[in-house]
Amino acid sequence: MSERSTRLRTSGPKRVSIATVNMLAALGIVTAIVLDLVAGRHPIELPGLLAALAGERVPGVSFILWEDRLPQAAVGVLAGAAFGASGAIFQRMLRNPLASPDVIGVGYGASAAAVTGMLLFGAQGIGLSLIACAGALAVALFIYAMADAGKHTGPRLILAGIAVAALLQALIQYLLTRADVRTAGDALRWLTGSLSASTWERAGLLAAALAILLPLLVPAAAKLRILELGDDSAAGLGLAVRPTRLGLILLGVGLTAVATAVTGPLAFVSFLAGPLALRLCGGRSNLGSAALIGALLVVAANFIASNIMPTVELPVGVVTGALGAPFLIWVLVRTNKEGT
Amino acid sequence: MALLEAQDLTLAYDAVSIVDELSLQLPAGEVTIIVGANGCGKSTLLRGLARLLKPAGGKVLLDGQDIHTRPAREVAKLLGLLPQTPVAPDGITVRELVGRGRYPHQGWFKRWNTEDEAAVERAMKLTGTTDLAERPVDELSGGQRQRVWIAMALAQETELLLLDEPTTYLDVAHQLEVLDVISELNRTRGTTVVIVLHDLNLAARYADHLVALKQGKIVAAGHPAAVVTEDMVKNVFGMPCRVIPDPVAGTPLVLPIGRHRVLRAESVLAAKGIYRTKPPEVEPESSIGAPSPVTVESSIPASTQESTQASTAPEPAAGGAAAQEPAVDSTDGQAEATPLRRAEEISEMLAFATRVVDVASVGENFKRITFAGPDLVHFGAGPAPLDLRIKLMIPPAPVHGAALLENATGPELPQEFASLRPGAWLAEDQAAGWYRRWLALPVEQRGSMRTYTVRALRPAGHRDNRGDDPEIDVDFVLHLRTEGGRLTGGPATVWAAQAQLGDDLLILGPNSALCDETYGGIEFRPGSAKRILLAGDETAAPAICSILESLPAGITGHALIEVPTTDDIQGSSTRSGVSVQWLPRGSHPHGEMLAAAVRATVAIPAAGAVVTGAEPEDVDVDETILWETATASTQPFFAWLAGEAGMIKEMRRYLVRDAGMDRKQVAFMGYWRRGKAEG
Ligand SMILES: Cc1cc2nc3c(=O)[nH]c(=O)nc-3n(C[C@H](O)[C@H](O)[C@H](O)COP(=O)(O)OP(=O)(O)OC[C@H]3O[C@@H](n4cnc5c(N)ncnc54)[C@H](O)[C@@H]3O)c2cc1C
Repeated sequence: MSERSTRLRTSGPKRVSIATVNMLAALGIVTAIVLDLVAGRHPIELPGLLAALAGERVPGVSFILWEDRLPQAAVGVLAGAAFGASGAIFQRMLRNPLASPDVIGVGYGASAAAVTGMLLFGAQGIGLSLIACAGALAVALFIYAMADAGKHTGPRLILAGIAVAALLQALIQYLLTRADVRTAGDALRWLTGSLSASTWERAGLLAAALAILLPLLVPAAAKLRILELGDDSAAGLGLAVRPTRLGLILLGVGLTAVATAVTGPLAFVSFLAGPLALRLCGGRSNLGSAALIGALLVVAANFIASNIMPTVELPVGVVTGALGAPFLIWVLVRTNKEGT
Repeated sequence: MALLEAQDLTLAYDAVSIVDELSLQLPAGEVTIIVGANGCGKSTLLRGLARLLKPAGGKVLLDGQDIHTRPAREVAKLLGLLPQTPVAPDGITVRELVGRGRYPHQGWFKRWNTEDEAAVERAMKLTGTTDLAERPVDELSGGQRQRVWIAMALAQETELLLLDEPTTYLDVAHQLEVLDVISELNRTRGTTVVIVLHDLNLAARYADHLVALKQGKIVAAGHPAAVVTEDMVKNVFGMPCRVIPDPVAGTPLVLPIGRHRVLRAESVLAAKGIYRTKPPEVEPESSIGAPSPVTVESSIPASTQESTQASTAPEPAAGGAAAQEPAVDSTDGQAEATPLRRAEEISEMLAFATRVVDVASVGENFKRITFAGPDLVHFGAGPAPLDLRIKLMIPPAPVHGAALLENATGPELPQEFASLRPGAWLAEDQAAGWYRRWLALPVEQRGSMRTYTVRALRPAGHRDNRGDDPEIDVDFVLHLRTEGGRLTGGPATVWAAQAQLGDDLLILGPNSALCDETYGGIEFRPGSAKRILLAGDETAAPAICSILESLPAGITGHALIEVPTTDDIQGSSTRSGVSVQWLPRGSHPHGEMLAAAVRATVAIPAAGAVVTGAEPEDVDVDETILWETATASTQPFFAWLAGEAGMIKEMRRYLVRDAGMDRKQVAFMGYWRRGKAEG
C-alpha cells in the first residue's frame, strides 16, 4: 500500500462505528426513561422504584410505574423506532430528506381517517387504530399509483405526496370545524400525538405488529443498499426495481401506520430520525440506527414534554414538532441553495 | 462465453418506437461500440439489451434464451451494466461501492465471503482504484469516480459488460483513461463489451465492431475501417466531413467540416509566425534573407534586373538605363516614333510570364495552380489582394493531331504582350489598346483570354513559397465533361485540368508600381459599410475567400458560397465577424440555394434600404454580361454578388427591386454565362 493512501486513510474523517452509535442510542433511551422516573414531574424514590420493578407491591409507586410510566415508555420506544425506521426507508429510497412519510402525506392519511372515524362514527381504541392504519395504507397506495409512470418515480412520489398532504390537511380542518367542541377537542389531542393514553394492551398490540415488521428491515436494508445506486444500476445488479420499491413502501407505511394508530402522529419523528442517524454515523445510513434514534427522540421528547412547564404536561407531539420545524426549514433552505 | 443478441427488437416509450425491428449480434469477446446522432436510439437500445426496457416487439436473447424470462439475478451474473447516471450514496467509500457489485452473487444464506472480497480486490486492481479504496466516492474527480463505477460493474464478474456513455462529462485525458481500462478488461478477461459512445473518433479507435444507428435502425455495422466513411458520417450525423487515417492509431479519423467556420486570417497567423503549409524545401538563408518584394536581386534575369531598380525610382530612367538596347525586347516598328519607356513606368497593366510551380486539388471541382516567376515582383495592387482580377492568356489548343508532349508549353505568346512585360521598352501610345490589337489576331494564334481571381499572392521570400520568386495561387473551377474519352470544357478549364509543373502561362495583371486598391480589377469596395453580404457560386469562391481574409475586425455580415459538393467546401479564414456559410448544391439547380440564402439573409425591406420598388433595367445576359460595380458608398451596408450571370440577375432583381437597396451599395458581377464562352 502506498504511503499516500495510508496517509489519506488516517487523515480522513473520523468515523464512529455504527455499533457504537447504536449502543449509545440504546443507553440514551434507558437514561431518558430512568431520568423521567426518578427526576420527572412525579419522582419515584430509587429504593421504591427498584422494589416495584422487582415485582413488590409498593403502595403509591407500583401502580404509577406499571400502569402509567412503563407502558408509556414502552409505547414511546416502540412507536419511535417504527417512525424512525419508516422515515429512513422513505428518505433513502427516494434519496431526499423531505421524503419522510409525515411530510409526503402518509401520516396525514392516517390522521384524516382517524379524525373521520372519531367525528363521524365515534370510533375509539382498537377500532380507531385500525381505521388510522387503513387510511395510511390507502393514501400511500394512491400516491404510489399517481407517481409510478416508469420514470422519475422518486421525485414524482414526493410531489404527489405533498399535494395529497395539503388536500388531507384541508379535509381535517373542515371536519374539525363541523364537529362539536368536545369531540373536536379529543380529535385535536389525537392529532397532536401523545403517549398519555398508553396502556399495556396498546403496547402489546404495537409490539406484536412490530415483531412482524421490524425483522423485515434486514432484507429491506440489503435491497435499499442496491436501490440507492439508481434504478438502472439496481436493475443491472439483478434487483427487481418496481416490486422492491413497492415492497419498501408497504413496509414503511406499515411501520408508520401501526405507530400512528397507537400514539397519533408524532410530528417530525420520522423526518428527524434518519438524517440525525446519518450524521451520527458519519454519513452512512443504517436503518437500525434510525430506529433507535427515533425511539430516543420520542422518550427524550416525552421527558421534556412532561417537565418543561411547571403546571401543565404537554403532549409529546408538541415537543417533537418544535424540534422538527426548524430542521425542516434548514433542509429547505439548504436544498434551495444547492439548487437541487 | 455468454452470447447476447437482439432479434427484430422494437423498443418504445409511450407507444413511440425508438428502436425499430432491429437485429444485432454482439460478437463474443470483442468491443462493440454503438454510435449515432443524439436521439437515434442508441442509449435506448443499450437499455433494451440490458433488459431495463421491455421490448414492444421482438426479443433480446442471452445464450439463446429470452432475457426477460430468466430470473433477474441469474442474468445479473452474466451481464453487467454501467448506466449513464449512476448515483453514489452519500459518504460511501470506494471499497463499499465496489462491493455492491457483488449483490447478484449473494443471497439469503450466502453472505459476504472471501470470494466476494477477492472479486472486489481484482476489480479495484484492474481499474487502478486500489489506492482510493477507503476514500469517500464523492471526494473523487470525475475520471476516478467513473473508474470506481466500472470497478463496481467488474466486481459483478460478468462475461458481458454494457456501458452507456461512460465518458460523458469527462475531459479528454479521462475519456481515454476510462476507455483504456475497458479495453484492457476486454483483452485480459475476454469480457464482451458493448459501449454507447458519442465521440466517433474514439469509437473508431477502440471498437472491434462498430454499429452506426440512425432513427432506431442500423445503418452500418462492422470493423471501423469499413464502417467509418465520409458518406456514413454524412448520413448518420448529417455532417459533411473528411475521413483520414488517424496518425496515432491508424483507425479512421473524422474531421468535421461544418458550415460556419471562422479561422484566423493568414496574415494574422503569419504575424505570429504560424504558417499553415509546410515550409518549402529551400535553403533557410534564401527565404529569411529575401527582402520585400520590390527590391529583388539575383533571381531576376539580366534583362529585367535593371528595370526593377528603375521601377523603384519614380523619376524617368537615368542615362544608364537608356544605354540598354531597347530593341532587345521591343520589336515594335513604331519604337522610333514615340519615346520608349519601361513598361512598368507607364502601363497600369503588365504581362507577367509565369511558370506552374505547384498543382493541388482543393476540392472535387477545384484545382489550385501556383504560378511563379521573376516578373511577378511587379505584380500587385496595394496591400490587399481582395478580389484581384487577372487575365490568363490560354495558349491556342494544339492543332488536332499534333503531339501534345513535345510542345507542352504551346506556341510562343503573342508578340503583342512582349512589350508589356516588366522591364520591356514600351511606347507610351502603345500602353493602351493592346486588347484591340490582340483581338485582331487570327484566332488560332491568339488563344483565349479568361478572367480569374488571385486567390493568394505571396511576395518573394514568403516562407510558403517553393522558390525565390513571388507566387500567385489561382483556384480553377473544373467544369469538365468527358466526351468520347476526351476532356471537354472551356479552354481555360481544359488547360488547368492538364496543367503540369513547368508549364508556362502569360498572365495580365496590375502593375504594383502604379496600382493601388482602387485598381479596376478589384470590385469589392465597401466604402464605410460595416455590414456586408458576399454571395457567389464556385467561380466566386476564390474571390470571396480572399476578401474574407483581408477584411478587418469590426465588419459583420454574411458570406454565402454555393459549391457543387460538400467536398468543395474550403477553409476560409477571417478576422472579421462575417459568418461564412457554404451551400453544397448537390442535385439542386445552380443558384437555387444561393438565392434562397440571400433572401433569408436580406429581409424586405433591407436594413438601410434607400429606394424601394425600383425596377432595374432588364439586362439580356445572353447579349451583354451583367456587370455593375459600385463606387465608394457611405451606406452602412454593402453587397458583393458574383457568379453565373443569369443567377446574378435574379439576385440583383431581388436586392434592388424587392429589398430596395441602393445600387451604390451593391456590386453585381456575372463571372460567366451558361452556354456562352467568355469573350
Ligand atoms: C472577375 C472574374 C473572376 C473570376 N474568377 C474565377 C476564379 O477565380 N476561378 C474560376 O474558376 N473562375 C473564375 N471566373 C469565371 C471564369 O472566368 C469562367 O468560368 C470562364 O468561363 C472559364 O473559362 P473556360 O475557358 O473554362 O470556359 P469558357 O470557354 O468561357 O466557356 C465554355 C463553356 O463552359 C461554360 N462554363 C463556364 N464556366 C463555367 C462554370 N464555372 N461552370 C459550368 N459551366 C461553365 C460556359 O457557359 C460555356 O458554355 C471569374 C470570372 C470573372 C469575370
